[in-house]
Amino acid sequence: MKKFVALLMAAMMLFGMVGTAGAASLAGTYDITVWVAENAVELTKTQIEAFNTSNELGIVFNATVEAVSEADAATQMITDVEAGGDLFCFAQDQFARLVQAGALAKLGVKAAETVAAANTPGVVAAATAGDTMYAYPLTADNGYFMYYDKSVIPEEHIDSLEALIADCEAAQKYFAYEMQTSAWYLAGVFFGTGCVSEWTMDEEGKNFVSVKDTFNSPEGLIAAKGIEKLVKSPFHLSSSSGSEFASGAAIVVTGTWDFNNVQGILGDNMGVADLPSFEVDGKEYHLGSFNGCKLMGVKPQVDAVKAAALHQLAQYLTGEQCQLERFEALSWGPANLNAQASEAVQANPGLVALNAQAPYSVPQGQIHGSWWDIAKVIGDDIKAATDEAGLQAALDNYYDKIAALFKLDNNALLFVGAWNGWNNADETDTFYFKDGVLTLDVPESDYMGGRIVNPGKWDTDKGFAQVVTGVELVKDLGADNPDNNIVFAEPGNYTVTVNGSEISIVKN
Amino acid sequence: MSERNSTKPMKHHMGLRTSRAIGNTAIYALLIAISIIWLVPFVCIVLQSFRVELKGPVGYVLPKQWGFDNYVALFKTDFPRWYTNTFISALVTAALQTVIVLCMSYTLSRFRFKMRKPLMRFMLILGMFPGMLTMIILYRVLKDLGMTQANAVPGLILVYIASSGMGYYVSKGFFDTIPKSLDEAARVDGATRFQVLKKIILPLSKPIVIYTILTAFMGPWGDYVFAQYISFGTSSGMNVAVGMYRWLNKDQIANSYTMFCAGGVLVAIPATVLFMCLQKYYVEGVTGGAVKG
Amino acid sequence: MKTYTDLEYLKLSKGQKFLYKIARFFCSIPKKILGLFVALWNLIKKGCGIVKDEAADIWSTFVKGDWKTKVSFLIMGFGNLARGQILRGLLFLLFEIVFIGYMVLAGGYWLSMLPSLGKVGPTEEYDWVLDAYYTVYNDNSFKILLYGVLTIFFIIAFIYTWRVNVRQNKLAEQILAKGKKLKSGKDDLRSLVDDQFHKTLMALPLTGILIFTVLPIVFMILVAFTNYDGAHDGYYSNLFGWVGLDNFNTMLNWNVNSGGSVQSYAATFGEVLSWTLMWAFFATFTNYFLGMFVAMAINKKGINMKKLWRTVLVMTIAIPQFISLLYVSKMFAKNGIINGFLMNMGWISEALPFWEDPTWARITVIITNVWIGIPYLMLITTGILMNIPQDLYESARIDGANPWQQYTKITLPYMLFVTGPYLLTSFTGNMNNFNVIYLLTGGAPTNPMASSAAGTVGYTDLLITWLFKITQGAESQYYLASVVGILVFVVVALISLVVYNVLPSIKNEEDFQ
Repeated sequence: MKKFVALLMAAMMLFGMVGTAGAASLAGTYDITVWVAENAVELTKTQIEAFNTSNELGIVFNATVEAVSEADAATQMITDVEAGGDLFCFAQDQFARLVQAGALAKLGVKAAETVAAANTPGVVAAATAGDTMYAYPLTADNGYFMYYDKSVIPEEHIDSLEALIADCEAAQKYFAYEMQTSAWYLAGVFFGTGCVSEWTMDEEGKNFVSVKDTFNSPEGLIAAKGIEKLVKSPFHLSSSSGSEFASGAAIVVTGTWDFNNVQGILGDNMGVADLPSFEVDGKEYHLGSFNGCKLMGVKPQVDAVKAAALHQLAQYLTGEQCQLERFEALSWGPANLNAQASEAVQANPGLVALNAQAPYSVPQGQIHGSWWDIAKVIGDDIKAATDEAGLQAALDNYYDKIAALFKLDNNALLFVGAWNGWNNADETDTFYFKDGVLTLDVPESDYMGGRIVNPGKWDTDKGFAQVVTGVELVKDLGADNPDNNIVFAEPGNYTVTVNGSEISIVKN
Repeated sequence: MSERNSTKPMKHHMGLRTSRAIGNTAIYALLIAISIIWLVPFVCIVLQSFRVELKGPVGYVLPKQWGFDNYVALFKTDFPRWYTNTFISALVTAALQTVIVLCMSYTLSRFRFKMRKPLMRFMLILGMFPGMLTMIILYRVLKDLGMTQANAVPGLILVYIASSGMGYYVSKGFFDTIPKSLDEAARVDGATRFQVLKKIILPLSKPIVIYTILTAFMGPWGDYVFAQYISFGTSSGMNVAVGMYRWLNKDQIANSYTMFCAGGVLVAIPATVLFMCLQKYYVEGVTGGAVKG
Repeated sequence: MKTYTDLEYLKLSKGQKFLYKIARFFCSIPKKILGLFVALWNLIKKGCGIVKDEAADIWSTFVKGDWKTKVSFLIMGFGNLARGQILRGLLFLLFEIVFIGYMVLAGGYWLSMLPSLGKVGPTEEYDWVLDAYYTVYNDNSFKILLYGVLTIFFIIAFIYTWRVNVRQNKLAEQILAKGKKLKSGKDDLRSLVDDQFHKTLMALPLTGILIFTVLPIVFMILVAFTNYDGAHDGYYSNLFGWVGLDNFNTMLNWNVNSGGSVQSYAATFGEVLSWTLMWAFFATFTNYFLGMFVAMAINKKGINMKKLWRTVLVMTIAIPQFISLLYVSKMFAKNGIINGFLMNMGWISEALPFWEDPTWARITVIITNVWIGIPYLMLITTGILMNIPQDLYESARIDGANPWQQYTKITLPYMLFVTGPYLLTSFTGNMNNFNVIYLLTGGAPTNPMASSAAGTVGYTDLLITWLFKITQGAESQYYLASVVGILVFVVVALISLVVYNVLPSIKNEEDFQ
C-alpha cells in the first residue's frame, strides 16, 4: 500500500500538482492545544511563535500549551481522544497503546520519508508500527547511566556492582536503581546477559502477532542473579530520582534529564559513569540498558487541512533547530542526526556517559503495552525468592503471563516453536493464531518443531496427530514424540490453519 | 494490725489521690506524645515550605537556608487560579449541598409517605456501588454539557451536589432527635409544613447545619481523581489537588517539591481556621447525627 | 439436627448453649435461602398482579369514562384542562410534547441503535493533495449506550406520567360525580409547601441522584456485558459491542497456567478481597477503640486544656489528605526521615521495610489510617460519652467496680448500641477507602503471583484501587473493571445484609425518639 501511494505521489508530482495546490490551501488560523512536559512549556510557546512567523505557507497557530507529563499523556489521551491535545509528547513505551486506541494520526508519505531520513534509525523504528510511521522523534536521550557521589564511592570501584554495593552498605548510603517498580530499568539487566524480548506486530500495526522472549533461559537466570545481589541489599533503593542524593543516596541510576538536578545537590562531588558489571560464576557481565526516546504525536483530525497544517508544525517542532534548542534549554538529547553531530551535544558529560553505555544498550522496539506491567514485578519476585529454583520460578511466571496476553487479546491458540529441541528455551518463539490462521517462519535448526497450546499452558492441545493436510511437510517421529509435537521436515515459511480438531499445513 | 486498721481510711484517701495523680500524669504524657505524633507531619511540611537551598525532597527536616522563595514562586504558576477554582467550588458546594442534604434528611425524618422506606433502602443499595467507574460516565455527560476542561468548575460543582442527597444519614439522625411534638403543636396552630421547617426546626438545627456546611466545604479541597478527569489536562480548570499533584511527577519533583509544600500550607489554612472556630458545632452535629446513622 | 425443647435447652451448660445456637444458625441457612426464593416468587406474583390490576383499571377508566377522559388517553392533560385544572393540564401536555419531540428527534435513533451499539466505526482517509491522513468518525457506541439508557428512563417516566394522567381523570370524574369541587392550580401550589411538601423538598435531590448516580451505575453494569476498553472505545478506535457473559467467564474461570504459580483472576480477586475485608475490619475497629480511648482520656476529670488537645488532633481532618498522606508516605520510605532518625539514633542498622515487605506495608497502612481516623472518632465519641448518664457510673463506683469494669459494663455496651449503624457504614466505607491506599502506597508492594494482564496488583491493593488500576492499565479494560465493580457491590451488599439483620439499632430507627 505504502509503495503504491508513493508511486501515485510521484506521478502526481510529475504533473506539478502537489507542491502548489498543497501550499496554497493550508493558509489560515488554527486553534490548537499542545501537550508538553511542564518544563518545556515556555520553550514550546516560543517555538510555535517562531513557526508562525517563519513558515511560508501562511499557517498561523493560536496555540494553548498545556503541561501534561510525558508519562501520563497516553492514559489521558486514551480516556478521551477528542479532548486530548492536538499535538502531544509521550514516552516511547506508550506508543503501542496509543496506536491501538486510535489516538495517533499517520504521517503523510512525504513527511514520513523526510523524518525517517533526518533522525536516528532506532528512534524512527520506535515511531513505526507495522510499516507505518505514527509519530515524530522528539529526543533520543532516554537511556540511563550511573551518577555517583565521589565523596563516598572511590573511582576505582565504579566498574564493579559488588564493590559498589559493599561501599554503599559500609557507608550506610543508598544505591538507587529502580529495580522493583520499573520494567525499563529492570529489563536492561536481562539484555546485558544476552536475553531478548522481541515483539512483532501485524502490518496494520494494531495487533501483536508473535513474541520471541528468552528471559527464562539460562542467560536470564544469570541476569536474575545479578538483580538479586542488588535488590537483596538493605541499602538498595528502588528509585530513579536524582533527588535521592539529598536523601541519603550515594548512587542513582537515571538519565540526562536529572543532570542539573544532581549537580545542584552534589556539586563537585558528582561523578557520572556507565553502568557497572556484575559477576556470576566467575564471569563478568556488564549491566545493559534499555534505550528509549520521546515522541511527538498528532491527534487524528476530521479536517484534512488542519491535519496537514498540524503535521507541518510537528515536523518543525521536531526538526533539527528545535531539537537543538531543547537540548540547550533542557538538556534533552536530540534524535536528529545533524543535531547529534553538533559540538555542544558531543561535549555534554551526561551524553558522554550515555555513549559509554551505548554498546550495552538495546533500543526499544514495539512492545505490548501490558509487558511493562508484567516485567516490572520480576524484581519483587526475585527479592522474594530464596534459592535458584525460586529465581527460575520468577522468570517462568513472567513468561506465562506474556503467553497469556495473546489469549486475552484474541481468545486464540498459541504455537510455541522450540527450534532447538523442547528444553532449549533460548530458541523459543510464541505465535498466536489469529482467527485460527498462523503464518510461521521456521528457522534452520536441529529440531524444527513446536506444539499448539492453550495460552499459559505447556501441555499440547493438539499437534502432529491432528494434522490432516500437509502431512508430508512434517516428520513422523513415532514413539520419539510423546508430546504430540509438530516437527517440520525443512525450514521455510508455512501457513498453519486450525479448524476445530483438524490442522492443515501449507508451505508458502 | 490495729495500726494498719487505724490508718486505713487515711491511706485509702491518699492512695486514691495519688493514683489519680499518677493516672493523670500518664494521660498527660500520652496526650503530649499523641500531639507530637499528630503534629510532626504538619510541622515538617511547614518547615519544608521555607527551605530555599534545594527544591527537591531531602532527607533532613530543618532547612539550611530559610526564605519565602517558594511562596513567591507559587504565584508565578497557575496556583492562584487553582486556588480560586477550588475556593469557589468549595463555597458554592457548601451552600447548595447543605440545602439539598437538609431537604432530604428533613423529609426522611419528618414525613411518613408510601415510598419512604423503599427509597431509603434504594439509596443505601446505591451507595454500595463503587463510585470509581461511574466517573468516566459522568465525565462524558459533563463533556456533552460543555462543563469540562476550562469550564470544569461548574461541572465539578454539579457533580459534587448532584448526588449529595444520598449523604442524608447524619443529619437525618440529628432531626430524629428533635421531638416531633414540636411540629405537631405548630401544625395544630395552622402552620404549613414549610412554616414548621422555617420557624421551628431550622433554629434548633444550627449544629447540624454548620456540620453539613463544614463537611461540604472540605470535600472539594481534597478531591483528586474526579477533578483530574474533569479538568482533563487543562490547567485553567484544575483544582489545587490536581494542579499540585503534577509537581510530584518524576520529571518535576526536583524543581517543585518545596513549592508543593508551600501550596499545601496555603491550602490547609482555610479549612484549619474553619475547623478551629466551628469545632464545637461539629461535635454537636456529629453526635446528634452519627449516633443514629 | 436435634431440636431441644426449652426445658432441655435450659439444662445445657453455657458452652453447649453457645454451640447449639451456632449449629441452629447454620441449619437454618438452607431454610433461609429457600425463604428468599419464596419471597422472590411472591414478589414476582405480586408484580404480575399489580400489572393486571392496573391494566384492568385503565381499561375500565376508558370504557366508563366520559369523552374528556377518553381524549386524555391520547392527549395528556386534556381532561384536566377541560375540567378547569389549567396548571395540571398544561404540565401534562407540555410533558407529552417534550417527550414526543425528543423521541422523534433523538430518542428513536438512540433506541434503535442500542441492540447493536453502532454499525460503522471510524475510517481513515488519505488526502492526496495535502499528503495527510484524516479520520471520518461515525457511530459512537458510548453515546448510544448512554443515551439509549437515558431514553429508556424517559420512556418509563412517560408511561408513569401517562398512568397518573389516566388516574387523575378517573378521580376527577368521581369527585365531580359526588358534587365536590376539584382542586385549583392555587390549591396545588399551596399543597406543595404543605401536604405534598416532601415532594417539593425531594424533587431536586432525587433528580440529581437519578441522573448522576443511578444512570451511571446502570451504565456501569451494562459495560460489564460489552468489550469496552482502550482499543474499543466506541468512537475513536473501534466500536464496542455486546459480548454477553464473556467477561464474567474471564473473571471467574480464566487461568493463566494450570501448573504454574501465576494465579487465575478468581484467585487474585479472592486474595484482594480477603485483604480488603481484613483492612476494613482493622481500619474500622482500631480507629473505633483507639478513638474512644483518646476521647475518654481527654474527657477525663482533671485533665486541663481539653480544647487544645482536640484542636491538635482535628488538624488532621482539616488538612487535605493528598498533602498529608503523600508526606506521610515519604516519611516511611526506605530513606525517609523515620528510618533516618532510627538509624541516626543507632536503634537499627538497616532501614525497616515499611513499604517493601507485604506484612510491614499492610501494618503500616493500618497504623497510618489510625492517624487519620482517630480525630473523627474522637469527635464523634466525645459527644456520646457525655450523653451517658453519669449516675450509672456513680452507682457502679459505689458497688466497687473498677474503671475497667465500668468500661466493659457501661461505656462499651452503650457505645456499641448507639454507634452500631456508624460502625456498619464505616466498615463498608473502609472497604472502598480509595484515598488512603492510593496516596500512601499505590498498592505496593506488588504481588508477583497475581494475574497482571489487568495491571499490577499489590499486597495493599483494595478492590477499589485494583479496579482503578484496571481502568488505567495498559489496555484500559473498562469491561473487566466493571465486572470487579459489580462483584464489589455483591460483597458489600452481602455484608450489610448480614449486619443489618444482626444489629438491632439499625432496624428500629424510631427507638431514639
